[in-house]
Amino acid sequence: MNIKAPDAPNKSEQPLIAGNLTFHDVTEKISGVVESGTPRLWYALISITGLLSLMFFIMLGHLFFTGIGIWGLQIPVGWGFDITNFVFWVGIGHAGTLISAILFLLRQRWRTSINRFAEAMTIFAVICAGIFPAIHVGRPWLLFYVFPVPNQMSIWPNFRSPLLWDFFAVGTYFTCSLLFWYLGMVPDLATIRNRAKNRIKKIIYGIFALGWRGGNRQWRHYELAYLLLAGISTPLVLSVHSVVSTDFSVSILPGWHSTIFPPYFVAGAIFSGFAMVLTLAIIARKVFKLDNYITLNHLDKMNKIILVTGLMVSYSYVVEFFMAWYSGNLYERFTFWSRATGPYAWAFWIMFFCNVVVPQIFWSKRFRAHIAVMFVASILINVGMWFERYVIIVSSLSQDFLPSSWQYFKPTIYDIGMLIGSFGIFLTLFLLFVRFLPMVAMSEVKAVLPQANVHHQGPEAIELETGNVRG
Amino acid sequence: MKSDSPKGREYWKSLDHPAETPEFQEFLHREFPQGASELNELNDPVSRRSFLSLMGASIAMAGLAGCRRPVEKIIPYVVAPEEIIPGVPNYYATTMPFMGNAFGLIVESHEGRPTKIEGNPDHPATLGRSNTFIQGSILDLYDPDRSKAVLHEGRQSSWNDFVTFWRNLYDKYAQDRGRGLAILVEPFSSPTLSRLAHLFRTTFPEARWAAYEPLGNENEYTGVRLATGLNLQPIYHFDKAEVILSLDSDFVYAGSDNIRNAKGFIDGRRVSSERDGMNRLYMIESSFSNTGALADHRLRIPSALVGAFAAALALELQAQGVVIRDNGVLGPFSRHEFDRDWIRILAADLIRARGKSLVIAGGDQPAPVHALVHVMNSALGNIGNAVAFHEISDSELSSIESLKTLVDDVKSKRITTLAILGGNPIYNAPADLNFAEALKEIEHTIHLSSHVDETSGAVEWHVPMAHYLESWGDARSIHGAISVIQPLIAPLYGGAGSVEVLSLLTTGSDARGYDIVRETWQKIISNGDFETEWRRVLHDGLLKGIASPAVNAPIDEASVFAQIGSSPFNRELPTRDNLEIAFRPSLTIYDGRFANNAWLQELPDFQTKISWDNVALMSPATAKQLGLNNSDIAALEYRGRKLEAPIWILPGHADNSVTLHLGYGRKFGGRVADDVGFNAYLLRVSSAPCFDRGLTIAGTGQTYKIVTTQNHHSMEGRPIIREATLEHYREHPAFANEGHEIPPLYTLASNHKISEQYQWGMAIDLNVCIGCNACTVACQSENNIPVVGKEQVGRGREMHWIRVDRYFNGDLADPEIVHQPVPCMHCENAPCEEVCPVTASLHDHEGLNLQVYNRCIGTRYCSNNCPYKVRRFNFFNYTSKTPESAKMVFNPDVTVRSRGVMEKCTYCLQRINAAKITARSESRTVRDGEFTTACAQACPTEAIVFGNVADPESRASKMKMQNRNYGMLAEYNTKPRTTYLARLRNPNPLLEEFEKKQA
Repeated sequence: MNIKAPDAPNKSEQPLIAGNLTFHDVTEKISGVVESGTPRLWYALISITGLLSLMFFIMLGHLFFTGIGIWGLQIPVGWGFDITNFVFWVGIGHAGTLISAILFLLRQRWRTSINRFAEAMTIFAVICAGIFPAIHVGRPWLLFYVFPVPNQMSIWPNFRSPLLWDFFAVGTYFTCSLLFWYLGMVPDLATIRNRAKNRIKKIIYGIFALGWRGGNRQWRHYELAYLLLAGISTPLVLSVHSVVSTDFSVSILPGWHSTIFPPYFVAGAIFSGFAMVLTLAIIARKVFKLDNYITLNHLDKMNKIILVTGLMVSYSYVVEFFMAWYSGNLYERFTFWSRATGPYAWAFWIMFFCNVVVPQIFWSKRFRAHIAVMFVASILINVGMWFERYVIIVSSLSQDFLPSSWQYFKPTIYDIGMLIGSFGIFLTLFLLFVRFLPMVAMSEVKAVLPQANVHHQGPEAIELETGNVRG
Repeated sequence: MKSDSPKGREYWKSLDHPAETPEFQEFLHREFPQGASELNELNDPVSRRSFLSLMGASIAMAGLAGCRRPVEKIIPYVVAPEEIIPGVPNYYATTMPFMGNAFGLIVESHEGRPTKIEGNPDHPATLGRSNTFIQGSILDLYDPDRSKAVLHEGRQSSWNDFVTFWRNLYDKYAQDRGRGLAILVEPFSSPTLSRLAHLFRTTFPEARWAAYEPLGNENEYTGVRLATGLNLQPIYHFDKAEVILSLDSDFVYAGSDNIRNAKGFIDGRRVSSERDGMNRLYMIESSFSNTGALADHRLRIPSALVGAFAAALALELQAQGVVIRDNGVLGPFSRHEFDRDWIRILAADLIRARGKSLVIAGGDQPAPVHALVHVMNSALGNIGNAVAFHEISDSELSSIESLKTLVDDVKSKRITTLAILGGNPIYNAPADLNFAEALKEIEHTIHLSSHVDETSGAVEWHVPMAHYLESWGDARSIHGAISVIQPLIAPLYGGAGSVEVLSLLTTGSDARGYDIVRETWQKIISNGDFETEWRRVLHDGLLKGIASPAVNAPIDEASVFAQIGSSPFNRELPTRDNLEIAFRPSLTIYDGRFANNAWLQELPDFQTKISWDNVALMSPATAKQLGLNNSDIAALEYRGRKLEAPIWILPGHADNSVTLHLGYGRKFGGRVADDVGFNAYLLRVSSAPCFDRGLTIAGTGQTYKIVTTQNHHSMEGRPIIREATLEHYREHPAFANEGHEIPPLYTLASNHKISEQYQWGMAIDLNVCIGCNACTVACQSENNIPVVGKEQVGRGREMHWIRVDRYFNGDLADPEIVHQPVPCMHCENAPCEEVCPVTASLHDHEGLNLQVYNRCIGTRYCSNNCPYKVRRFNFFNYTSKTPESAKMVFNPDVTVRSRGVMEKCTYCLQRINAAKITARSESRTVRDGEFTTACAQACPTEAIVFGNVADPESRASKMKMQNRNYGMLAEYNTKPRTTYLARLRNPNPLLEEFEKKQA
């Protein structure tokens, strides 16, 4: 992206895009994925993820017909996998927005290779996230009661309820992310439209390309709009998960009632989001041979972010325990002591290992560049982050004020099935995305190619610097 | 029933009539096709349509009885029947005969449909209060599994056929003076039944008469007979006793006079300030009873040693100067393993309170223990004060001996016809009698029972028994109050009352219950106009001013000690290889008669909190010795009989003793009852119906799923139930709030409109709560609370709006138990209200925390944020499978909740509104005590007090002004409207000091 001409590349840094590609190479490579025949692997994968999604919807049907009792929920554990999944998926989304908006504003030009699918990931994650609060209610057919719709009874939703804030926060977030993602994609959609050989494709891509011709004025408007959306999205990165965290911190439940939650949740969201981007990037890079676009340099940077946010999360854990002790509150102390030693200790220590211990490997430059290690780490981190929400939600509810009501939460097959099914939906959407949409922002990548720099001295200069001479 | 049965009709409908043919039946049903024909009429005849006609018939003046028997007048309690206003319930007085006693009731009836039972304040057995069984019995009325037809050898027959059958036999037996005829009744206390029994014995002098119920109070009466030589009813006045010793007697819950006893005992403990005194309770028992939980000092010893303990105590009393002439019989009991200091201090305390003390023995203890207790009471001067003996009349007492004689007669082929009126002997008779085999020897057998149960399946004639709410009868309470059982509804499934059947058996003619009862009462009501007096009795629920006279019966010490001398009490401790086995009634389903009552099945046991099952209870040490753990299935072997049962550890249980609860493991009890738990009757023998030794237990390596409603048993040091000794209370009157200082708290938003007229609130005095669960069942009945079943309870989804929490305190082997009823706190600053996104949870101007079901979308956030976890969620549509007939028990004033909706205690909003409407129509405000919530109304000890706290003179306000009042978790600024009054114990300082030293 270029609001103004990009700065001259730092000589000491590696080029953002390896392989000394030309503009045409980029177009060929990225559009090629969309235009070429469908690989067998894709069919194989989408049938698996499709089946998982189907399982999700069948379970959902059963849920709607019989009630949420098919889950393991009870009194006192009124929220279990449902809200855990919600918070988990919302968190995943954050990396996309961070990459597309904040890193954009901060002129982190390396983001161009990964922003498109990170944003796509955001959209799909928020879709998955949005499903759960909608279906977790006892009477989903009356969900519209939370809409602030004027009615003859003058009944408004309760504006003091964090759940309502959630509804607005996530709704806004989804809208902005979708617009941002789509807007950024318009020039690339036009490219594909232009290259399309099939009439139907031409029409469909044509519609979504909104008549983009690449004219100067269009670029000017486009860039301004993009900047504005980035500006709007930036606070959302912080606000959405802060609002989600108020679901817990506004309550009076020990283990939930905590003022550290907003920053803690945001850090955790970015932590898990980057881990998810990393997982997907490593796969996409391998499958579509995008090594030149998503270089080790990119991965290294993401690993550093993971390390930083991982440390923030670890700090939060420690502070929570400290405050529980320091507060002198009987109930708080018990909750935290029980978290680490009680019936949910297994979940706590999984979380602790995955979120505190695992990211520490990224202090090592070697591991930051080791694909297999970071792949495993990224998956572990997401396991850990799922368990973080599980521990916060379930363990706090399960043992609250009156010991008489304490109960251990046991998930049912539907809890687990719908968690897996939500991954099916997420991955199905992602597979559809990589098949039919440009997964790397071609126009943006081109802008960070050396050739786009007004001071570019020709390919030879780069080749000499990097020693990467084409044979 | 009678002429209603399809086969009983004597006219025909078509030429094709030989007409029970399927085609004809089908024609009948297809006359109004497509739904007009009532579904499955034979199986569930109480569909809406037939119900409407039935209930019509039950209201006086309905006049649409048609071929039914003529309508009798029954008299409403408050409002005359001609003033039935749709939507406004009527209240009728009636009586529940149960446990050999009579419980006077006021029953709420909505348009002819009884929905709720309360105690009759004028009746000595209920005093306006009730218990779990009374509360639950209304559901039995609508039990869809009740028997619906007379069965002859398992095939549907009719009342007329039965009458014809009996007339043929009647003449034969009348000629033979009843030789070969036998009758087995459930013990009763009823003028009419007693009159008929007398008539029966005169008509059939040689007939065999037996009375049996598994939990009859036989020991108690035999004990009195042994001590006084007379058949007398001991009545206890706990309120007059300062020091009480209970020898294995759970008098606040079990026993026929439990409501009065609980109230009396608690009245002696009720304090309103630190200046008041309290009685002191010493408890000796093997299992942990509710009474044990209330005890100031509790000693756990096996049931079999209670007699030896009593003897040791008598010796000690003697040593301390009380005159007990034992003729040296007690001598050997000076060697014992009980704590000598304990007994010494106890004896001293009893003597200190001479004349104001009370010793009571449990119904399970053998007669000599009861007799010895009477000797001690007499020696302590308690008889005439806290204990009184009253005449017994109109009663048939349970006797295992009579049942045994009957079975012996059967085995020697001396019985040709046996009529069993009520009861279920094949299921619950002592196993050694082998009643099922005996029954096969008899030519004609008749069984009157509410269900086609274990016994009904083995008899020639089964006659359905009408519920007490649908048949005429009468009953005499153990205090001598006589009352009429007036039906509130015509029998739903046909069925005859025991009065009608006994009358038929006795006279050979089919008379109506109404006439039979009136005939008896013609003699009872001797002065005044019969009709007026009869109506008054029906209205009041009892004949006022009648009570059994107290009898001054001297205690015959010589015969008591002669008996003890000839068969001395056991002094041997049970051992691991020779365990004690004790049989107890289930706390929820009693002897099994309530086994098909889903409310009571789901009601958690008060100590173990187990719902839907019974277990073999044992102490932690015994379980450890046997290598068993909770839910392990153990193989029990006793006198060659074997049974597998799950184990449960009950801290505070006596070591090497195992308690089994009776009433479970039904095979033909109905859809709820069948295969729930195990049948402990299979081990029970006639020579040791209560306890014995000789039990061995081995693990089987299998486990069984037991569900409980409370899984954590310690308060974790939290100030939830606050408790102190009376002494401490006197020194620190504000102890309930000391050390729980609440910092100044501020509320962000408080924009509730406040009514100055009414602010509803509740106070629960933990010092007088006996943990009996009556509140829970009363609430379930009043508020249409669904039953969810074992699987759902196991998932933690029970729906009770008011629960009774139970915590253990202290040492694992010998802990204390405390109970705490927990309804919604109706917080003024309610955490649930803040978080509901759709304002379904909100406050009204009278301080109620409301839940608007229509608005609720079911996020469960309110429950998550409720620190008391009193909110209940409809995870499924729990009411969708309610049988059509059971829907009739629903209170029409309370919404039946759909799935996906949160619900909780409303402070009986419908009652508040009804009272307000009445008050407004009378241009006044609601008076204190004019109405109360269902829980408060049922509570036998008035532990729960509800009222208008805006009125400083209301009882609730006055309770809250006491210094023991505290708000649970009030430090969270919830400002609960339900507050608690701290619990007190009144231990003997000497004994406490001594116990401390020991520890």
